[in-house]
Amino acid sequence: MATRVVGRRQASGGGRRFALLTVAPATLLLVGISIFPLLYALRLSFMQDSLLSVAPPRFIGLANYGHLFHDSLFWTSLGVTAVFAVSVITVQLVAGLVIALALDRLPRYQQVIATILLIPSILSPSVVSFQWRQLFDYYSGPLNYFLGLLHLPLQGWTASPREALPALVLVDFWEWTPFMVLLIFAGIKSLPKSVFEAARVDGSSSWQVTIFQTLPLLRRVIAIAVILRLIGAFKVFDIIYSLTAGGPGTSTESLAFYTYVQGFRYFDLGYSTTMAFVTLIMITVLARLILGFMERPVGRAA
Amino acid sequence: MAATAPTRGRGRLAATPVVHAGAGRWIAYIGIGIGVIFFLFPVYWMLGTAVKPPNEWLTNPPVFIPSRLYFANFTDALFFYNGLKGLMDSAIVAICSTAIGMVIGTLAAYSIARFRTGGGNLSFFILSVLFMPPVAVAIPMFLFWSNLGLVDTYIALIVQYLIFTVPFVTWLMKGFFQDLPVELEESALVNGASRLRAFWEVALPSVRPALVATALFALIFTWNEFTFAVLLSRGRVTTLPFILPTLMESHNILWGDIAAIATIGALPVVIIAFALQRYLVRGLSFGAIKST
Repeated sequence: MATRVVGRRQASGGGRRFALLTVAPATLLLVGISIFPLLYALRLSFMQDSLLSVAPPRFIGLANYGHLFHDSLFWTSLGVTAVFAVSVITVQLVAGLVIALALDRLPRYQQVIATILLIPSILSPSVVSFQWRQLFDYYSGPLNYFLGLLHLPLQGWTASPREALPALVLVDFWEWTPFMVLLIFAGIKSLPKSVFEAARVDGSSSWQVTIFQTLPLLRRVIAIAVILRLIGAFKVFDIIYSLTAGGPGTSTESLAFYTYVQGFRYFDLGYSTTMAFVTLIMITVLARLILGFMERPVGRAA
Repeated sequence: MAATAPTRGRGRLAATPVVHAGAGRWIAYIGIGIGVIFFLFPVYWMLGTAVKPPNEWLTNPPVFIPSRLYFANFTDALFFYNGLKGLMDSAIVAICSTAIGMVIGTLAAYSIARFRTGGGNLSFFILSVLFMPPVAVAIPMFLFWSNLGLVDTYIALIVQYLIFTVPFVTWLMKGFFQDLPVELEESALVNGASRLRAFWEVALPSVRPALVATALFALIFTWNEFTFAVLLSRGRVTTLPFILPTLMESHNILWGDIAAIATIGALPVVIIAFALQRYLVRGLSFGAIKST
């Protein structure tokens, strides 16, 4: 829907000044607290600047970026992030689709149930982490109690190097699947009714309608939901900080957490900002790829 | 069949014709039932722990239903473990940042919606700030605040949170202003009102419900914010998201008390969410669904 422009005739006079004056505070502020720090970070990434060394900061060109290639911890953290991102996006997308489609089939109370389901996504990450700290407890946690009831071996969850990352995937699944449901559900609701009516006249079954009609129409919503979760997975920090602190060992040290460790524990500002930049570039490239892939025309349909 | 629910709120949440067979509906019921149990169980567990007496916090097998309601956890949490200070700090930071963000963001939104200021680029830039990982700007911002001697102050967190509230308010209010017919403002202008008066006395009162909804969403974000709260605090300004992990580190065993703080922290957010049901999709989807 196109926006109407108020009083176009006067746009050159008072209107223009008003328009610029009202937009100025937001623009200046955001340049000040996002663009300017980002440029400063870019400059830092070409410097050797550690708060722990007595040497003054000096320009070292691309040495920080070169160092990344030989830093095995960087590659480990990239691997952790990749595994985490692929796992959470896959399971959240599948579960999100199934729940949203099921929600759409309820005869009533859809909105109330959608809101109830959304609770995990609107809680503070530190509240979420606390809840799961309790659930994961080896001795008194309900998860191991249920496993015991089923005569399955008890698990160490976040305390075990092998299980810590899957445990975090579970937490992220719990926290963000509801958000996925909300997006996809809203996407379904925004589809034109004529699609479904035409399909019914054709005599298609409801599952045929779902798979062949609904899903393709939801491509755009799905693409954006995947991108939002991709960004979330790349910047995951809160649940790691509160539940595993990157451990045991480095088994859950994600890119964002390793960046934090380098910057705020070892105070290696140059190296930390370098990693932050590389992360930003990776997110941008991946988001572009997903958008391009999902928005490609379906083509040869009928 | 195909019971079409009454169209609500611009049709975004209107029911599509339900095309289903009987079996499909039962699968849907069961699926939703499992989903609700799964997504609410951890919340139930937190609430349960918050009212359990201390001897039921760490038992094996765990206590599913507290034997009695033990509210001393809440008073301990508030007065003994800095819960009250956390609540106050969270409230100060969230309310101030939301208020400033509302003023700056609403002005920008009006400008962009009515005059297309900056074309598409400006509004894209403002939205893209929302997606920047906090860790990317954390170090420069930390250096900035420490040079000013403002690390661990209200000012630092309030201004820092404008990085969420301003783009969020701008983006959301822009949509609401675009939905507002321009005729009223035009007739005010024709009658000699200034731009400012047309904005202040005509446009703004017409979007009052949207302003309230937007402010409440911004409150949720700032109340919950974690990363900057952890990176910019050293123990003087302690918002709830900062206190919880600290308590979990140092008092791993005081689960009832921590659960009580967590419950207090979660309560306002859940209440707001239910009050805002109508706006949830628009408020949380960041333009994912074309909502105008």
